[in-house]
Amino acid sequence: MKKYLSIFNISLSQEFAYKMNFVMWRVRNVLHVVIAYYLWTTVFADPGRTVFGYDQAKILTYVFGTIIIRAVIFSARSVDVPQEISEGSLTNYLVRPMGYFKYWFTRDASSKFLNFAFSIAEFGILAAIFRPPLFFQTNILYLLAFLASIIIANYLIFVIRFIVTSVTFWIPELAWGGQFLFMVIVTEFLSGSIFPLDIFPATWQTIFYYTPFPYLIFFPLQVYLGKIPFPQVLSGIAISVVWSFALSIILRSLWNKGLKSYEAIGR
Amino acid sequence: MRILYYIKVWWLMNIKYILPTLWHNWTLAVFLVGKIIRFVFFGGFIFFLLKGTNTLAGYNLTQALFFYLTFFLIDTTSQFLFREVYRFRPYIISGSFDLILLKPMSPLFRVLMGGADVIDLITIPPLIYLVFHYGSQLSPSTLTIAFYILLVLNGLLLAAAFHITVLAMGIITLEIDHTVMIYRDLESLARFPIDIYRQPLRGILTYFIPIGMMITVPAKALMGLVSPSGVLLSFLIGVVAIFLSLRFWNFALTKYTSASS
Repeated sequence: MKKYLSIFNISLSQEFAYKMNFVMWRVRNVLHVVIAYYLWTTVFADPGRTVFGYDQAKILTYVFGTIIIRAVIFSARSVDVPQEISEGSLTNYLVRPMGYFKYWFTRDASSKFLNFAFSIAEFGILAAIFRPPLFFQTNILYLLAFLASIIIANYLIFVIRFIVTSVTFWIPELAWGGQFLFMVIVTEFLSGSIFPLDIFPATWQTIFYYTPFPYLIFFPLQVYLGKIPFPQVLSGIAISVVWSFALSIILRSLWNKGLKSYEAIGR
Repeated sequence: MRILYYIKVWWLMNIKYILPTLWHNWTLAVFLVGKIIRFVFFGGFIFFLLKGTNTLAGYNLTQALFFYLTFFLIDTTSQFLFREVYRFRPYIISGSFDLILLKPMSPLFRVLMGGADVIDLITIPPLIYLVFHYGSQLSPSTLTIAFYILLVLNGLLLAAAFHITVLAMGIITLEIDHTVMIYRDLESLARFPIDIYRQPLRGILTYFIPIGMMITVPAKALMGLVSPSGVLLSFLIGVVAIFLSLRFWNFALTKYTSASS
C-alpha cells in the first residue's frame, strides 16, 4: 500500500511538472462546457420550456455536471500505455515488484484527484459568471446511488481503456488509432459526455444501453437528476457491475494472451 | 513560375505522406471510421435536437445542418492542407528546423503545407456532395452561391492565418499540441451558428477571433442573409488576419534559438 501511495504522490508531482499542458487541457474542458451552455440556453430561451424531459435547470445541471464528472471519469495517465507497448518500454514495468494494473490505477487516481480539484474551481467560476439555474438533488438514496455509479464508472472506464490498449500487442501501429476511435470518439459520444443520450429516439437509446458506455457519464447524471425511478436505478447499477465483471474477465484473458505475443520491439 | 514551383514542391512533399498512409490499412481504416462516426453522431445530434425543438436561434433543421456541413467542410479541408502543423513541435525542440530553414523554399510553406492528410482528402468529396445537396434545398441564387464559394475560400484563408499563428507561437513557447487543439475547440464553437452566443462572445467570435467570419458567414451568405458590404468586410478581415499572422511568423523566426541542434 505504501509503495502505491508513493506512486500516487510522484504521479501528482509529474502533473505539476508540465503546468502549461495541464492548464491548456483544463481550458479545453471549460470550452466544451461553454459551447454546451450557450447551445442549451438558446434551446431553453423560454425558461418554462421542457424538451426531451429536461427543464432549463436540469439540462444546465447536466451540462455543468459534466465538468466534474468528465474530470473524474476521463482523466487518466494510462493513455500512455499503448505507446509503451508499441515502443517496447512495457518491459521496464514487467520486471518491477508491483502490479502493473495497480500501478496505472494509482496513477489514474492521482490524475483524477488533480482534475477533480480543478473542475470544482472551474464549476464555481463558471457558475458565478453564468449564474445558471441548477438542480440540487436532496434525496439521500439518489445521492448514494449517484456516488456508487461514479465509483463503478471509474472502474469500468479503466477496464475499457485497457481492453482497447491490448489491441496494441497485435497491431502496434494502432497505439494511438485505437485510443482515438474508442476512447475519444465512441466513448465520448456514447457516454453522453457531449450531449444527453435521451435526445435520440427510443430505439437508438435501447441500442446504446446494450453497451457499457452510457454507465460512464449519462447514467450517473440521470441518477443525480432523479430522472429514473429508484428500482431502475438499482437495476442500472447492477448492470454496470455485471459489465465491470464481464469486461474484467475479457481484459484478463486479452492481456495474458497479449503478453505472450509481446516481443518488446524497439528495445 | 514561382507558383508552379511550389505546386511541384507540394506534390513531391505530400506524396511521401499519402502513399504510406494508404498502405497502412489498419491506420487508414480506424481514423476514417472515427471521423465518419464523429460526423454522423454530431449530425444526428443536430437532426434530433431540431426535430424536438423545430428551430435553433431562428434557424430551421436544413439551415442548422447546412451550418454544420459548412463547418465540417472548412475544418476538413484545412486539416487536409495544414496537417503538418501538428508535426511541427519535434522540429523545434530537436533543432532540426535548422535544416528546413536552409532549403531553397519558404520554411513557412514547408511546415504549414508539407504533410497533407489523405484521410481528410477521402472525406472531402462526399462532404461537397452533402453541402451541394442541403445547400440546394435553401433555394440559393447565383449571386449567393458565388458569395458562398468565395467566402469558403476566405474561410480557408482565415484557417491558414490561425495555423500560421499556432506555428509562430510554437517557436516562441515550444507548445504546439495544446495550442492547436484549443484552436480546434474554438473553431468548434462554429459547429452551430454563432447567433446562439450572447454578446460580447458573439462579437469576439466575429471580429477578434473570427471563427464566425470563417464558418457562419459563408453559410449565411448562401441563405441570402449577408449583404455585399458584409461580404467585403469578411474579405477585409481575411486579408488583415493573414497579414498579421505573417508578421507574427516573421517575428517568431527572430526568436528561434536552434536549441538542441
